[in-house]
Amino acid sequence: MAISFPEEVLEHVFSFIQCDKDRNAMSLVCKSWYDVERWSRRRIFVGNCYAVSPRIMIRRFPEVRSVTMKGKPHFADFNLVPEGWGGYVYPWIFAMAGAYPWLEELRLKRMVVTDEALELIGKSFKNFKVLVLSFCEGFSTDGLASIAANCRKLKELELRECEVEDLSGHWLSNFAESCTSLVSLNISCLGSEVSYSALERLVGRCPNLRSLQLNRAVPLDRLPNLLRRAPQLVELGTGSYSAEGRPDLFLDLAGAFKRCKQLKSLSGFWDVVPSYLLALYPSCSGITSLNLVCATMQSPDLANLVKHCPNLRRLWVLDHIEDSGLAVLASFCKDLEELRVLPSEPYVVEPNVALTEQGLVSVSVGCPKLQSVLYFCRQMTNAALVAIARSCPNMTRFRLCIIDPLTPDYLTMQSLDTGFGAIVEHCKQLQRLSLSGLLTDRVFEYIGTHAKKLEMLSLAFAGDTDLGLHHILSGCEKLRKLEIRDCPFGGKALLANAAKLETMRSLWMSTCPVSFGACKLLGQKMPRLNVEVIDERGLPDSVPEDCLVEKLYIYRSVAGPRFDSPNFVRAMNENSSLTFS
Amino acid sequence: MSSKKITLKSSDGETLEVEVAIAVQSQTIKHMIEDDCADGGIPLPNVTSKILAKVIEYCKKHVENSKKEDSIEEEDELKEWECNFLQVDQQILCDLIHAANYLNIKSLLDLTCRRVADMIKGKTPEEIRRTFNIKNDFTPEEEEEVRRENKWALE
Repeated sequence: MAISFPEEVLEHVFSFIQCDKDRNAMSLVCKSWYDVERWSRRRIFVGNCYAVSPRIMIRRFPEVRSVTMKGKPHFADFNLVPEGWGGYVYPWIFAMAGAYPWLEELRLKRMVVTDEALELIGKSFKNFKVLVLSFCEGFSTDGLASIAANCRKLKELELRECEVEDLSGHWLSNFAESCTSLVSLNISCLGSEVSYSALERLVGRCPNLRSLQLNRAVPLDRLPNLLRRAPQLVELGTGSYSAEGRPDLFLDLAGAFKRCKQLKSLSGFWDVVPSYLLALYPSCSGITSLNLVCATMQSPDLANLVKHCPNLRRLWVLDHIEDSGLAVLASFCKDLEELRVLPSEPYVVEPNVALTEQGLVSVSVGCPKLQSVLYFCRQMTNAALVAIARSCPNMTRFRLCIIDPLTPDYLTMQSLDTGFGAIVEHCKQLQRLSLSGLLTDRVFEYIGTHAKKLEMLSLAFAGDTDLGLHHILSGCEKLRKLEIRDCPFGGKALLANAAKLETMRSLWMSTCPVSFGACKLLGQKMPRLNVEVIDERGLPDSVPEDCLVEKLYIYRSVAGPRFDSPNFVRAMNENSSLTFS
Repeated sequence: MSSKKITLKSSDGETLEVEVAIAVQSQTIKHMIEDDCADGGIPLPNVTSKILAKVIEYCKKHVENSKKEDSIEEEDELKEWECNFLQVDQQILCDLIHAANYLNIKSLLDLTCRRVADMIKGKTPEEIRRTFNIKNDFTPEEEEEVRRENKWALE
């Protein structure tokens, strides 16, 4: 007996389901479910802005309230994607301005956002509430001023690691006195000074403010006033955390921190003077997340701070923490789930700090819940990797960055194949992996054999032959994103596994011996893939088949070829009208 | 003081006497009473006696609950009661949804619709079809196109 519901009932049932995966499954049940689903979907996630178009999105989903979108590939963070490549959000905003007047939320990552786009947001969406920009660029503080002025119901404004043209701090004063809805404000990446009194008034009139992340330009003596106006804060990013000979400020600060009984997350701490950290010790027992990557502190001070945070679940820190500080972390923070250790001097070959593989081993052994690691160091051994693998079978994200390429196991002078092999063999839930050090094709055999849940893989200076790439493409069933630089992989494995590329979101290869001819062939063989050859030197109209491409970006798309490519990007699609020799 | 009662007539001809305070949990019934259409009983041609009894049971529990003090224990007890209340086969759940919709009882509609939503979550399209006995009326090409758009654009 078939169960059928009237449309309005089905819509009501669907209103309790927001998850993308469920919504996608529902859309495939039957035609009437497809229709009810598409009219009732309110949240969209677009993992690659070029995989779909505004027209297609709007045609299918007429009533969207929240859009999350990503633009440039991840390697853009390492300056590997040339300026002007793409990822422009303006065409999307323009289309949504007409189609989604009730849009409330935009979350963008690695996209080019302009002041025009921000102005258009402010003018077009009367109910706009959330703007989160991560790793975005292309706009100035003028654009922020129009958001502050026009979005009267704004709840979240977060700028995470964005490149903003900082014309002045005056933009913050554009928030209307009637704006009291802020829940989250993150201006940590901005350089210029905002009006402290405007900031204090804003913070004071927003009773629901949970997260406040200041920029470096806010001095320490302004912090107590801000904290007193927002004792309900859960997340705080301080500004500059430095002072000299100010016992009055210390007491003021300590008193203010004491009143913030809900603090769970801390960041900021530019120019930190460690003695002033004592002011926040009373809050530390509740702290679950600490981001100290802007804080230049020596290991003993870092260790002292960490000792006071027994409930710590996430720590981001510079390598100043050294092996000794990590040993303290391993002893005191048994609930640790995520560790990131970033390099203080990434371009210096000689070690400037006493941070080795031992630090990571102690944390792996001491913290049974460790799931996510990003670790920069200068030496590693297979034995250490095996120990880490055995101690953390629940690891889901493991990114190891040995700073000097091709570095072998320093004890045995062997490759690190065995060590990483142990990682993929023991950590059966591994979703994300970054490799480094001296690696042969063998490591890829291990990965292809064991890493069955792997979704994202990053490689640099690894492998010997095309066989390496072939192992990955043929073995990693759940692979979605693959990014490769400076590896000896050509077009052979790509062509042999062409169909696999349609099951992935994207593949990036730069400085690999892939020929123009191979790219052309791939583009012809797989017309639904966008095969982009990127060469900043510019590409002549006719390119020799055996010429090696500088950079290659391949991604599946239902929108067909891009219309906004710059002249240094050439699409290898079937209908390309350019001739090749 | 004797509580006022009203007569409800199910689709299969049975009559049920219910306290007005309980019956007006249904906005439909409430409007009928207010519009003076309730003399001689209210006919409910879309609701069988079996389902009507369940609906009344639900409304009665909610009226009782609203008289009690708000507390965590009361909330938990109500949740448990509602959970037991919904230990029914799919056809009855479906009939309850139709009844709650027709009778316009928001809390019962939310409860039953949430239950159906829970039955959908985490399932593949084929599993959903099997659960609700729904026929797949996509052609293989149409289905493939939606599947591709979902995977490529929306994941």
